[in-house]
Amino acid sequence: MQLASRRAVLCLAVAALAAPAQAANSPAAALIEKAANEVIALIKAKTGRDREAGIRAILVAYFDLPFMGQSALGTHWAAASAPQRERFLKAVASAEARAYSERFGRYGGQTLAVGRVSTRPNGVTMVDSKLSQSNGQPITIQWELRDAGQGLRITDVKIEGVSMVMTRRSDFNSYIQNHGGKVEPLIEELEKRAAN
Amino acid sequence: MVAGFFKTMAAGTRHSTIAVLAAAALLGGCASGDTGANEPWDPLETPNRFIFSINRAVDIIAIRPIAVLYRDWMPAPAQRGVHNVLDNLGEPVTAINEVVQGDPSRAATTMARFLVNSTIGLAGIFDVATSFGLTHTKEGAGNTVGYYAGVEPENGGFYMVLPLAGPSNARDAAGLMADYAVDPFRILTFALNVDWLLYSGPRWGATVVDVRSRTLYALDDLEKNSVDYYAALRSAYTQQRADIIRQKREKTDSRSELQRRDNLALVR
Repeated sequence: MQLASRRAVLCLAVAALAAPAQAANSPAAALIEKAANEVIALIKAKTGRDREAGIRAILVAYFDLPFMGQSALGTHWAAASAPQRERFLKAVASAEARAYSERFGRYGGQTLAVGRVSTRPNGVTMVDSKLSQSNGQPITIQWELRDAGQGLRITDVKIEGVSMVMTRRSDFNSYIQNHGGKVEPLIEELEKRAAN
Repeated sequence: MVAGFFKTMAAGTRHSTIAVLAAAALLGGCASGDTGANEPWDPLETPNRFIFSINRAVDIIAIRPIAVLYRDWMPAPAQRGVHNVLDNLGEPVTAINEVVQGDPSRAATTMARFLVNSTIGLAGIFDVATSFGLTHTKEGAGNTVGYYAGVEPENGGFYMVLPLAGPSNARDAAGLMADYAVDPFRILTFALNVDWLLYSGPRWGATVVDVRSRTLYALDDLEKNSVDYYAALRSAYTQQRADIIRQKREKTDSRSELQRRDNLALVR
């Protein structure tokens, strides 16, 4: 047991050493680290509604929420009218704020070690990271970043191989198909949820 | 109830080899043009949703409350002990799968773990093998089929919801049956006519509580943040299984996850 934990500490130390070296030449890794630090500071300082508002501000600053929303709607995006798109993006942004506020709210005592950064020819940057917990296995988190004209932004988070955007996309698609293939019921449902 | 389910599965184990072959054949059928962006294949959606709603009712009434109590009131070392014992009971099946996957040295490590933990680790309660540098792995026939099937690992045949066991697909359900068929503990206890109250009942009961208590947070999150929980779970399950299988293939397979995501971006 002791040996194992010593090894884990060593791994983390190596990761911690490796991270600044990569962070120095990778704006993507630096962005993730900056966002993580902001989240940690916010979680320590605020609770409840204030925390949700703070998380929302961080999401707007670091995530490309319109892109994520559009990806989540998939092929139905084309079928939606301009006002529908606007309402949908607004509702999805508050849904995301609530979801991440809760996810980050559990963030306490863990450390996020940023690892390998890989840039793809199509302009997507993937940042690997590990969230080490005080008990149990570390959680693998992959961040997907894109630059769509307004600087590098996070466009997807993959936790243990499960993409948040892909899951939402599947979720929304199924809901739309079970409600007559129309986007309107989904928007209404999301707005209703955002209201409470 | 869990034991009952696995007893009915025992009746089906003779057909499991055929099922595995059938699953592999099904998987081989649809290899081209697969970017992984498609929705999971779910031709049985109506019966699946029906079983899903029953599972959910049973979960809300019985399994989830027990799992919450277990997580909050059982001392952490005891929880770890239970988890270790269950892991240890699964080692022989893991070793068999590692041999089939063509990695006998990894299988030897797994068996070494099993021998060390079963003896020095007091029937697996303490995971001493990890501190000897023998790391833990978990393999099932679902992974083995996925490893050899020449398709995107998102494609595991048709999706299905198993009674009590929850989300699965043709590949993983066939894998479950194959694992059950080859499990030395199952064979031994059947041969010796061990009463189910002594072995299979406690084992599966503990597995349900252990797994459920570990998935509490993730499943609550998914349920709360989805408009169609069934579809969200179907997607998350497919993605996570695919990720595990892809990591196995990565060593030999040049088609990497990153390439897949490039394709995905094109589709988007």
